Amino acid sequence: MPPDPHRKSSYELPLAGDGRPEERVRGRATPYLSESLLLRSAVWFCRLRWIAVVVLLVFGILGLFPTWLPRIGLRAHTEWPFGAAAVLTMANVVFLVNVQRLTRASVSHGAETNLWAQIIVDLLVLTVVVHYMGSLETYVGFAYLFHIVLACIFFPRLWSFLVTAVACVLYVGCVVLEETGVLSVAGIYADATLRDHMDRVPGTSLLNVTWATVTWIVVWYLTSHLSAMVRDRDDELARTNRRLLEAQEAKTQHMLLTTHELKTPFAAVDANVQALLKGYCGPLPREARGVLIRIGIRCRRLAGQIHEMLQLANLQSTDEELLRRVPVDLADVLRWCTAQVRPLAEDRGVVLDENLEPARTVAVNEQMKMLFSNLLSNAIVYSHRGGRVEARCAPVPGDGPTATIEDHGIGIAANKISRIFDAHYRTDEAVWHHQEATGLGLAIVRHVAQTHHIRVRVESEPGVGTKFLLQFPAAEQTAVPAERQEEAEDGLSDDRG
Amino acid sequence: MAYLMIVDDDEDFANAAAMELRDAGHEVAIELRPHSAVESMEKRRPDLVILDVMFPEDISAGFELARTIRHENERLRGIPILMLTAVNQRFPLGFGSADVGGDWLPVAAFLEKPVDLGMLRDKVSALLCKEDADGGDEAF
Repeated sequence: MPPDPHRKSSYELPLAGDGRPEERVRGRATPYLSESLLLRSAVWFCRLRWIAVVVLLVFGILGLFPTWLPRIGLRAHTEWPFGAAAVLTMANVVFLVNVQRLTRASVSHGAETNLWAQIIVDLLVLTVVVHYMGSLETYVGFAYLFHIVLACIFFPRLWSFLVTAVACVLYVGCVVLEETGVLSVAGIYADATLRDHMDRVPGTSLLNVTWATVTWIVVWYLTSHLSAMVRDRDDELARTNRRLLEAQEAKTQHMLLTTHELKTPFAAVDANVQALLKGYCGPLPREARGVLIRIGIRCRRLAGQIHEMLQLANLQSTDEELLRRVPVDLADVLRWCTAQVRPLAEDRGVVLDENLEPARTVAVNEQMKMLFSNLLSNAIVYSHRGGRVEARCAPVPGDGPTATIEDHGIGIAANKISRIFDAHYRTDEAVWHHQEATGLGLAIVRHVAQTHHIRVRVESEPGVGTKFLLQFPAAEQTAVPAERQEEAEDGLSDDRG
Repeated sequence: MAYLMIVDDDEDFANAAAMELRDAGHEVAIELRPHSAVESMEKRRPDLVILDVMFPEDISAGFELARTIRHENERLRGIPILMLTAVNQRFPLGFGSADVGGDWLPVAAFLEKPVDLGMLRDKVSALLCKEDADGGDEAF
């Protein structure tokens, strides 16, 4: 049963920030990075491992020549370098196959497991290498730091600490097993004096192990702290970006409502003026009719102003990536635009000439119409009665097409020409010649030209006329999907209808 | 002569448009709310609906009503709709002529407010002629 609309009810306005599940909870045990980034990291990790494999193989190969390594005081080893290289190679292949499977399947989890497996395998193999190279007398144990640092980048602090703890346990375990005789002491140095000394003086071993593990923990602390700071900054940027997108959406919505709020009452005034002028409410005195005609003229002017303001606001608030660029023939667009402004030209006694060759480019169809409609109507209104406006377009071999709108009207003074594209800017001469304009037409032209990377050149001389030359970028029609091609064709044919 | 229905929350505009269309010889009813419009249409099926897009309680109520007429209400299906809108119709918020008649915006035509009443009269006549030529319900 639907709730009774007349029942007593209450509502509390939520405070700003309420109900925002996207806010990050600090310290949560979830991965820092996105799945795709983790997968890329997993691949990168595998590439680094190939370097370790190569180093081990080189060391093993050098061991095959029994006299080479002893010359520099090292023992020749073959079994464990090849064994470790083989294990790492097999593991790497498995990891890469797993990454490929995860990428193809587009699953939302699995990369973490892959990275965890890589780190664990590496730590185990590294411990074997540390044992055979010398756990106390060499610095090879510090290779654990690579994994600690990488874990700090890939994972939250708790997880990276776990990696650090595993590294410490494996290293300490290796040393303890060696010191207790469970594992025979290996070592890479031919001269075992250093290790013998350490074995005889237990404090030395203890100090070395303690120093190493403390260093790893300090490195983990610093790196994970820095990583968390960077991640917090990333989150903050992401939240700001999200808020900006929401604000953009709200702005568009506001624009929609403002359009309605501005135009609806105005449309009613305009329609009623028309109804009165048509005599639907009875005959009107001559003076009243004159007043209504003036109201009607102001209504149409206001309509044009609202239209231009909204066009410019819409252009400025539209995300460039969302624009639908389609193949466009400038000749078709110019033909459509000249048809639109021809009544204005006839009204002002201006001749409109066309010299249009097929000139294809890729553009937003509506914006092209805005651009040329504004240039043409400007050319017409700033022409003298009996003047001539010419619209031309042509392809340019090896480059984008050109278009030209030329009038022989009032022209623009040299010291003012650089400001004509500013919103609401109008020269005194322009105002004197034609009062009914907002000064937004060329601001719209500028915005469209910049969006489409069109080079606009203005040549003008007061009392002689003005020429706008437009050089379009070369068209890249292959980048336009097939449905856009159809859409472009449909759009023009519909508009003519 | 046809029976037309104007569905628009702006009574002043609707009255002025109705004067023009009555002068053209049509019978015109005005409905200010989409819900009452559906009830009224079910009682007497109009030959053409002139529909606003945005209503105070729902900015897309006009679209919803157009879809109801086009897809959901068997008794109203096929009534041609002329959509009048104060929303900038071409760029970049809304819809273009390519959308007209499709599932998304099932209307026969649209005009942007403020509208020239003579143009409204011509558009209505053209749509009614097209409706006659296409044979009623199969117009879409």
